[in-house]
Amino acid sequence: MKMKKALGLLLAGTMVLSLVACGGSGDGGSSDGGDSKEEAKSDGGSTLKVAAVETAYGASMWEKVCEAFEASHDGVTVELTIDKKLEDVIDPDMKAGNFPDVILRAVGGEKALTETFVKDNNLTELTDVLDMTVPGEDVKVGDKILPGFTENTIVNPYGDGKTYLMPMFYGPCGLFYNAALLKEKGWEVPETWDEMWELGDKAKAEGIALFTYPTTGYFDAFFYALLHEALGEENFAKALKYEEGIWNTPEAQQVFDVIAKLASYTEKTTPANANDNDFQKNQQLVLDNKAIFMPNGNWVIGEMAEAPRAEGFEWGFTALPAVEEGGERASYSFFEQVWMPKEAVNVDLGKEFIAYLYSDEAAEIFATEGGAVQPIAGMTDKLSGDAVTYYQIYDTGAVAVLDAFATTEPVEGLTTRGAFFDPVNSLVTGDKTQEQWVKEFAEASDAFRGALKE
Amino acid sequence: MRRKNKGAIRETSKFAKILIYIPLVLLSVIIIVPVFWVFMASIKENSEFYRNPWALPEGIYLQNFADAWESANMASYMLNSVVVTVIAIFLLIIIALPASYVLARFKFKSSKFWNVLFMAGLFINVNYIVVPIFLMLTDADRFLNKTVGHTVFLNNLFVLAVVYAATALPFTIYLLSGYFKTLAKDYEEAAYVDGAGYFRTMVQIIIPMAKPSIVTVILFNFLAFWNEYIISMTLLTKPELKTLPVGLMNLMAAQRSAVQYGRMYAGLVIVMLPTLILYMCVQKKLTQGMTVGGLKG
Amino acid sequence: MGSNKGRGRFIFCCLAPAAILFVIFMIYPTIEVFRMSMYKWGGYTANKTFVGLQNFQTLFKSDKFYQSFQNTILLIIIVTIFTFAFALVFAAILTREKIKGQNFFRIIFYIPNILSVVVISAIFSAIYDPNQGLMNSFLNLFRGPAGAEDPILWLGSQKLVIYSIVIAMIWQAIGYYMVMYMASMANVPESLYESAGLEGAGRVKQFFSITLPLIWTNIRTTLTFFIISTINMSFLFVKAMTNGGPDGASHVFLSYMYQEAYTNSSYGYGMAIGAVVFIFSFALAGVLNAVTKREEIEF
Repeated sequence: MKMKKALGLLLAGTMVLSLVACGGSGDGGSSDGGDSKEEAKSDGGSTLKVAAVETAYGASMWEKVCEAFEASHDGVTVELTIDKKLEDVIDPDMKAGNFPDVILRAVGGEKALTETFVKDNNLTELTDVLDMTVPGEDVKVGDKILPGFTENTIVNPYGDGKTYLMPMFYGPCGLFYNAALLKEKGWEVPETWDEMWELGDKAKAEGIALFTYPTTGYFDAFFYALLHEALGEENFAKALKYEEGIWNTPEAQQVFDVIAKLASYTEKTTPANANDNDFQKNQQLVLDNKAIFMPNGNWVIGEMAEAPRAEGFEWGFTALPAVEEGGERASYSFFEQVWMPKEAVNVDLGKEFIAYLYSDEAAEIFATEGGAVQPIAGMTDKLSGDAVTYYQIYDTGAVAVLDAFATTEPVEGLTTRGAFFDPVNSLVTGDKTQEQWVKEFAEASDAFRGALKE
Repeated sequence: MRRKNKGAIRETSKFAKILIYIPLVLLSVIIIVPVFWVFMASIKENSEFYRNPWALPEGIYLQNFADAWESANMASYMLNSVVVTVIAIFLLIIIALPASYVLARFKFKSSKFWNVLFMAGLFINVNYIVVPIFLMLTDADRFLNKTVGHTVFLNNLFVLAVVYAATALPFTIYLLSGYFKTLAKDYEEAAYVDGAGYFRTMVQIIIPMAKPSIVTVILFNFLAFWNEYIISMTLLTKPELKTLPVGLMNLMAAQRSAVQYGRMYAGLVIVMLPTLILYMCVQKKLTQGMTVGGLKG
Repeated sequence: MGSNKGRGRFIFCCLAPAAILFVIFMIYPTIEVFRMSMYKWGGYTANKTFVGLQNFQTLFKSDKFYQSFQNTILLIIIVTIFTFAFALVFAAILTREKIKGQNFFRIIFYIPNILSVVVISAIFSAIYDPNQGLMNSFLNLFRGPAGAEDPILWLGSQKLVIYSIVIAMIWQAIGYYMVMYMASMANVPESLYESAGLEGAGRVKQFFSITLPLIWTNIRTTLTFFIISTINMSFLFVKAMTNGGPDGASHVFLSYMYQEAYTNSSYGYGMAIGAVVFIFSFALAGVLNAVTKREEIEF
């Protein structure tokens, strides 16, 4: 589960196309340096405090990268805190006023650490990092990072064109299924949702459910991709800013219809296990041929590596079916973020460290030690084996979606997941109707709009 | 103590006796089966967890325990837990006993006030005062850092023990003074007549009588302290100072991202085994305490 | 018997350590909860904004808060009734009857209470598993093929989930209270039962006319304590078993508070919930105390 957010997604040349529209002023060069408080006293003996969450990539890649950074920077010591429950470890210290200089933790974590910092305006601006030269190389950081990754609402949370978070490891998300099962039954992978429903009926006749999901948290990626398919780039961007009335449009209605219909095709026990403890039981349904599709990311393969499976099982991965014949097919890209709290002490050194993370040397360590892929052009060429398949999904023409709902001031009693996606459980069990869900959805959206960051 | 006529009544109701055994046995089964299941799961290999969870293990896979003990650091967490629990219980008893005694058996100007205040403490939920406690200790540390140059309150097992003892005070005082209130005045009066002072009376006469209640207090609080994780997690941030339940949670986090069910259940066993063993020992004392208490009347 | 001064000093020395610790670590933080409930604060920065009672206003307009309120009340009522009924009956049986393996039963019944909630939740999640769980495999014996086709979703159905938590909580609590009542029942003088027996009163009658009245003080106090602890325990169970799911259907007071304070950057709002819980527990205890008041029976 943690891995989900811990990964990001995708790539390939097609991505450039898909992102042209959302790219704002992508040069990121015109930085005023933000509000870097004290200049780091680079008197040779500085200690940089780095905190990173330990995910499926493991801790060793971070240890090695920190060592390499120390080796290339005289007199610098990196104090690395790496833990699976990073929030629990650093939280008390931060409340006491001791902040790490650099933190790697993606938005979407259970404790919403990153979101809290964003909502509190508690980040150091990093726009100027894009303009820095990668240590040991003669390329600018901004030029090395794949297009799109530095022009979205996740890394530019306040919509002012300033970058506060830097994109890290990414990976593809879409629908996972048992390719062998479809082959055996002679079923095609659906390319439109109508074909999807046909397949659903055929499968039902054989006692197989069409769909399952690990937890409702997995609907965010799914929802963004579907929303992009239905609304198109322009309205998609508006929807993410909670535009008034957007959920009443016929296009948005299509999105709700698809999800509600999907709920009716969902394996019945899914909501019972759709929590952080038991979500693997839902993933197991796919391995056991009890359900065909589930929204997920490529980490699921590692997550379920030791699980038993139907004979001949073979992972298949596809972008979302199109809303209409010949329409766009989209897939969401998850990526992690690295950022600096406003209270960071070694601001300059921290920025230097972040710039270093995009060096060939660091990227190589991340890729070989942990299998983590930095959003750097050409990285996928270095991948091998299974990984290639997943990172090449966009070669098939699927559109990459990177954005997320705009950051708001905290709205007491409302979270996007709670208001938007958790009700999917109720749709499946029949405790809520589509109308109720859409109504709640729109109301929550109105509340978030009122709390948008200026 | 038992009289013959009791037996006579009982003999007439064999049917009733069977009726009594049925729920007892049923409840025992309901309780034992799940616990047994955890022990069983802890010696299973990882691949077995995806099959019927109620199936017997295919073999005894002790590697789970070694993994949990070493790689998850359960050994040092256990030591931390023992240290904190022992200190906290010791503090609690020496602080709560005299206070309960005084509150139960002495009338003084503010006795009503303190009785009510401690009663009120029963309604304070530790789960929502932990952050104010943390902030208070942080402020104290900041102050010390400025004046003395080093910090004392956070990341200190002893401070955690003090907080445990403090938060357990209301319940403990409640329980103990409840017992003291049931004692007849005669005990103290006799002691005073013999020339014993207040302190000696308390230590030599009253406290020994309260032994069963003290055992109960220790038992209950041992479990509370041993299993507590929210305060521990907040006040001890250094990895090497973690207590067992916090360590277990880490193990479970690890299990979730890398699927180590066996290791997790081994961790569960490691956490519950000491409580089970200790309970079996204290159990006898508890029984003793009950018969001692039964002498009265 | 000693001077007044000596008595005063003795009282002071005995009470002071407890009073100081208690005030520092419980009273003061509680006051802080109330104070912070009037601020808007994300948790990390120094900028706290005073918002007066606004957090409370939002709270009393929130459906989710009422849902968690309702769940908490439901848990308190059901868990209390079942736990106390079972605990009292079993305690009476084990103290009054000559049972073979009496000690064995007592040891067994107490085991759930010594387990960490994390362990219990892991166990019950497995028991409630729709396909392989013990609960459904057992019920399927009676339901026949319908059971396999339409499994009961113990933790997945919004109507059932709270009762599934109830079962786990009762399972956990019975032993604790049973041992407590056994201790107080052992204090009831044997002679009372003997004379009642001679008068021809049966076991059931003895239970209601002797055992219950004589340990009533103990029941009263444990009842109050139990209800407070249920508010707390329900949080630990919900957190470990469902985290408030599905779709917020199993949230209780404190789990809702945690969600708001820690995952929604609404720290002050969370503390406002804490303040409401505090007042609620207090009021409830007061009511209980008044309702259960009986003439105390000396023996």
